[in-house]
Amino acid sequence: MNAAPAISASQFDGRNPADEHAPIRIAARELNFYYGQFHSLKNINLDFHDRQVTALIGPSGCGKSTLLRTFNRIYSLYPEQRAEGQVLLDGQNVLDANVDLNELRSRIGMVFQKPTPFPMSIYDNVAFGLRLYEKLPKSELDGRVESALRKAALWDEVKDKLKQSGMGLSGGQQQRLCIARTVAQSPEVILFDEPTSALDPISTGRIEELIEQLRSEFTIVIVTHNMQQAARISQFTAFMYLGEVIEVGPTNRIFMNPTVRQTQDYITGRFG
Amino acid sequence: MTALTEQIALTRSGTSTRSRKGPSKGLDALFRAASYGSALLVLVVLAGILGSILYGGWPAFREFGFGFLTSSAWNIGTEQYGALVAVTGTLASALLALVIGVPISLGIAIYLTQLCPGWARKPVGMTIELLAAVPSIIYGMWGLFIFAPFFARFVQMPVSNVVEGLPIVGTLLYARVPSGVGVLTAGIILAIMIVPFVASIARDMLDQIPTILRESAYGIGCTTWEVVRHVLLPQASVSIIGAIMLGLGRALGETMAVTFVVGNANRLSASVFDPGSTIASRIANEFNEADGLQLNSLMALGCILFAITFVVLIIARFLTRRVKVA
Amino acid sequence: MDANNTIRPAPALKPTRIRGSRRVADRTLRLACLLATVLGAVVLGSILLMLIIEGARGFSPLLFTQPTPGPGSEGGGIANAILGSLVLTGIGILVATPIGLMAGTYLAEYGRGSKLAEVIRFLNDILLSAPSILIGLFVYTLMVRPMGSYSGWAGGVALAIIATPVIVRTTEDMLRLVPGTLREAGVALGAPMSTVIRSVTWRAASAGIVTGIILALARIAGETAPLLFTALNNNSWFSRDLMGGVANLPVMIYQFALSPYPNWQQLAWAGALLITMTILLLSVVARVVIKPQTAR
Repeated sequence: MNAAPAISASQFDGRNPADEHAPIRIAARELNFYYGQFHSLKNINLDFHDRQVTALIGPSGCGKSTLLRTFNRIYSLYPEQRAEGQVLLDGQNVLDANVDLNELRSRIGMVFQKPTPFPMSIYDNVAFGLRLYEKLPKSELDGRVESALRKAALWDEVKDKLKQSGMGLSGGQQQRLCIARTVAQSPEVILFDEPTSALDPISTGRIEELIEQLRSEFTIVIVTHNMQQAARISQFTAFMYLGEVIEVGPTNRIFMNPTVRQTQDYITGRFG
Repeated sequence: MTALTEQIALTRSGTSTRSRKGPSKGLDALFRAASYGSALLVLVVLAGILGSILYGGWPAFREFGFGFLTSSAWNIGTEQYGALVAVTGTLASALLALVIGVPISLGIAIYLTQLCPGWARKPVGMTIELLAAVPSIIYGMWGLFIFAPFFARFVQMPVSNVVEGLPIVGTLLYARVPSGVGVLTAGIILAIMIVPFVASIARDMLDQIPTILRESAYGIGCTTWEVVRHVLLPQASVSIIGAIMLGLGRALGETMAVTFVVGNANRLSASVFDPGSTIASRIANEFNEADGLQLNSLMALGCILFAITFVVLIIARFLTRRVKVA
Repeated sequence: MDANNTIRPAPALKPTRIRGSRRVADRTLRLACLLATVLGAVVLGSILLMLIIEGARGFSPLLFTQPTPGPGSEGGGIANAILGSLVLTGIGILVATPIGLMAGTYLAEYGRGSKLAEVIRFLNDILLSAPSILIGLFVYTLMVRPMGSYSGWAGGVALAIIATPVIVRTTEDMLRLVPGTLREAGVALGAPMSTVIRSVTWRAASAGIVTGIILALARIAGETAPLLFTALNNNSWFSRDLMGGVANLPVMIYQFALSPYPNWQQLAWAGALLITMTILLLSVVARVVIKPQTAR
């Protein structure tokens, strides 16, 4: 009855264990989401712990990306999409009408499926978010750009060509540039929406390392369709199916000891 | 677990309270308003065009009533004006332009997409597109000084000699004065002017047809002609008809080229070789010297032109979803 | 009847005849298409040849220094018409660019999916193909009549009305090519929409937008009909406030080409050569500029 799990126990050896007592940074409460008539998230209740990586997994169309997109309300670009319920960021409901969206988004960064470098120089890409909120003297701006690029493990590769276009970098470098751009704003939370799905395995490895390092500073939520990736980099995992959270818990428990049949089927590759 | 963590989530953790001063909301709203206003301006201008010619043409419509459309008079001395000659000339020259121009346009589009060797596609395509960039007044000069004498000598005179006295063609194709200018010449020049336009849209439409469709047709042994006739043209037909309508819209409203070669006569003639006039050419010729009822009548002609082109362009728009700017 | 009893080979003649007629149809199509294309090239060639032969004859430095001569007087140049054309198209493009850019931005960014945007897009396409002479009539009623005088301002506005829909259309099309994720990435950094548009999407679409502006410039540089009732023409230097008739190449060419004076006709040809070459050059430049855009 128990099929061999796709993820072996050895993968969790020596990994940072989940800290279940870490404070909650974001919480979804009774969250429902609609694309026009389509009810795509149903009564989501989910917590995300401070400075932990939480992975959202599940088959395509299960609502994991949609859930991510409610946290910074990026969905509100599209008039036909709406969310009901609560998303609490440090206790404040970000779905409230009077929330300043720009400020919210500067506190919750997002990295997308495909690299999205802006059509400007590498330097300006990173400085873009900084310039929005602060008027910094040149020297300080330089310092902040450098430190962001260092955090994104990109500095050594681009320090001699900061004035060149960000579009000229390789896919993996572009994605790290986008991470640097997000990190530069010192957000509290970073959302990753399948950040490696457009990258080769080597670039993927570097991004995963990076996410692991970023955990010391940021609360991270990552959507991934790659279960190994979730197992490698996350402390918590939530399995979603058909717009509902089926099971959530520390990653090693979800993968080694799923309690719900659907979760087990999914991680052993029987569907999805 | 939820109950326990709820409490933590509801208390603010120390590091998070950081005030961020956002960029100015006012500028954002201003930008949006400017963008909205500019878009509305398009609407206002179109309404303004219609309003101004309706206003200007109203006295003529009131004076002549429905008879304005059916009268062929255009007499400044007696102040009798009618639209029939100009409307007929406009429709006739534009239809001639389609009859001549559409096959050529399709031929070029088919050549560029199916037959042309790869290296030549760009330069040949560019040549055709440049034809669209030549100003209409240059077409007028070319039509009057190069084409008309050639046309008079090698087409009008021989054809007139042959058909003289014959029924139907004898009237349709007889030139009283073989000067080279006339409704047919205008139609030919208009045809040349709409060819690059229709051809480039038709080319884009043919290019959009999935290669697999073409390959499967060739795969069962079809010749190029059969592929074009039975696969490509039916597939693209609706948008090509839309492109033709757009070309028709251009031909109806074209002014300068036609003014040079149409002959500018207010005469209703059965022969396409005879000079005539179009709405646009008449406005161009007379507007600056006109006043009173003549000016109103010219404005009224403008209304008719607006109505005709508007209908044609609406049909075109419904047939072609979106085509590129020529 | 008895033929039914034996197995006959397929009649040999018929298929070959079909194959023959198919081949004829195919050859005819290929030939006709080739001829149509050659015809297009021949017309362009003959227009250019005409302009070069006739225009070069009248080319002299005086063209660029002397104003147009009065009826019957000798010599002269087209300097006033050249300058006038530059001024008129300059006003036209300077007015049309911000309006067209902003309206195109509305259609592609703010108004996506809205009914109003759909209506405006539709009407913009109509305006794009509307007869330019009607725009002349409109501006005549709007400006010339109330001001009591032809003016360069009226001419410039008429040209702006022709250029605007071109810019609206290309701007919208080019902005639509910008991937939505780029916008989302900008918004996700907390940038207000206007900042995202100005520093991200406009920039991503810049090559295409510039192409649209150049195409609009090429389009209005040779427009004659709308100037007939607005800027008219003038055989001398126009006044600095641009009131009264303002000399310009297209209307000058129209009037001089049909005049009985040989030196006027000569000047018309020189002007025609100048303006056509400028416009063709602009069109080629526009197509070269758009290249990096399509390569991406």
